[in-house]
Amino acid sequence: MPEDLILKVENLNVELGGERIIEDLSFALKEKELLVILGPNGAGKSTLLKTLLGLIPYQGLIKWKENLHLGYVPEEFVIPGNLPLSLKEFFQFKKERPEKISQALGWVGIEASGKFLEKRLCTFSSGQLRRTLIAWAMSDEPDVLFLDEPMLFIDIHGRETIYDSLVKIWESKRQSIILVSHEIGEVCKKADKILALNKRKLFYGPPEEIITPQNLAKIYGSPISL
Amino acid sequence: MDLQFLYSLIVGVFIGGVAGYLGFLMITKRMALVGDALGHAALPGIAIALIYGFNPSWGAIPALIVGILLIWFFEMHTKLPMEALTGIVFTASVAIAFLFLPESEVSTALIGDISKISFSDTIFSVILSLIVFFILKKIFSKMILASLSEDLARVEHVDTKKYNFIFLLCIAIVVALGIKVTGSLLMGALVITPAAAARNVASNLFQYSFGALIIGVISCVLGILLFKVFALPAGPFVILTASLIFLISLIFKKQ
Repeated sequence: MPEDLILKVENLNVELGGERIIEDLSFALKEKELLVILGPNGAGKSTLLKTLLGLIPYQGLIKWKENLHLGYVPEEFVIPGNLPLSLKEFFQFKKERPEKISQALGWVGIEASGKFLEKRLCTFSSGQLRRTLIAWAMSDEPDVLFLDEPMLFIDIHGRETIYDSLVKIWESKRQSIILVSHEIGEVCKKADKILALNKRKLFYGPPEEIITPQNLAKIYGSPISL
Repeated sequence: MDLQFLYSLIVGVFIGGVAGYLGFLMITKRMALVGDALGHAALPGIAIALIYGFNPSWGAIPALIVGILLIWFFEMHTKLPMEALTGIVFTASVAIAFLFLPESEVSTALIGDISKISFSDTIFSVILSLIVFFILKKIFSKMILASLSEDLARVEHVDTKKYNFIFLLCIAIVVALGIKVTGSLLMGALVITPAAAARNVASNLFQYSFGALIIGVISCVLGILLFKVFALPAGPFVILTASLIFLISLIFKKQ
C-alpha cells in the first residue's frame, strides 16, 4: 500500500438479508483527505460506512493502515426516555477530563459551563444531541472520523458552525474524514473527493468534476441545482 | 440480637445492594423481566435443594445455567424472539418443579425464607455479592454505551458479545442469591423495583446506580426487621418496602 494511503477498498460486495447493498466498489482514502459519500436515501451509504468500520461482513478487500484510531458518529442515536445520563458522564465513557470535554463541545458550538456538563442528555433537543455526539467522537482526536449524516436535525446556523469547525480541525490535524450525506451541502465543495453511490459507484473524484448538473441528475434521478 | 438474625441482616444488605445495582443496568438494557423469568427457571433446582436440605441458592445455580443454555440453544436454532423462548423455558421449569416440590416447601420456594442461614452461607453470599458488584462496576460504562448504540460501542472496541455474556452470568448469580431472600416468585421485583425508584429521582448515572443500590439495601433491611417483628416471611415485606419507596419516588420524579 502506498505510504500516504490509509485505506484501500477493492471489489467490495456487501449483502444484507439476501439483498445486494454494495456492488463491486473500489476506492481509496489518503491521509488528511475529506471524502464525502453522496447518494439518495437507500443507496447503501450507511452500510458502506459500517462495513468500513468492521461492523458488517463483506466480500472483497478492505485494507486499513495499521494502528489507526477511528471515531464514529452513527446516523441513529437516541437516548431512551428519561435515562439520567449526564453530559459529563457520557464523555467519561471515553475517560475524558472536563477541560477536554469543554474543548470538544466548543468545536461544535456548544458553550459548556460546569453546570451545563451536569445536564441530562435526555433533555437535549435532537440538534443538541447530534452536536454532542459529534464532539464526543472528535474528543479523543481520532485519525479517521466517520460521520453518518452529521447534520441531521441541525439548523442552518448550526450547520455552518459545525462545518466550519470540522474543516478547521481537519486542516489543523492529520485527520481524515469520511462523511456520508444524502444532500449536497457546503461540505461537498470543501471535500477532496466525492464518492457518489447508488449501490454501484456512480462517480468518484474531486467535487468540481462530480458536482455538475448532469451528474447530479444521474445520482438523484432528477435534475437538481445548487 | 441473636446470631441467626444478624446473618439474615448481613445477607440482606449485600444481596439487596447488589440486586439494586444490577437492576439499574437491567432496566437500561430493557431486560427488566429477565430477573423474573430466571427466578422461575431456577425452581427445579430450588426444589431439589429443599428436598435434600441444602441452601436453595446452590440448587438454583445449576438450574439457571441449564435454563440459560437452553434459551441460547433455542435462539440459535429457531428464529423466535428471545422473550418467547424465555417464556417457554421458565414456564416449563415451573411445571417440572411442581411435579416433585413437596407441599410443605412451596412457600419457601416461592417467597423465600431467610430465617435459616448458616455462617458459611452468609460468607458465600457476601463474597459472591461483592464479586458481582465489582464486575458490574467494571463493565458498567461499556454496557451503557452498548445499550445506546451497539455499533458505536463496537467501534470503541467494546466486545459486546463478551460483555453480554458476563452480564447474563451476573444476573444468574444475583438471582440465585436473591432467591434465598425473596423466593422465586418475588425475585424479579428485588432487582427491578429499587432501580425503578432510583431512576425516578436520579439526575445522573451515579445517583441512579448507587440510589438503586441503597434502596435495595434499605428494602432488605426494613423487610427483614418487619419479619422479625411480625414473624411473617421476609420476602413479601422486602418487596413491599421497595414498592412503597417506588411510590414515594413518584412524588419526587424528575421531569
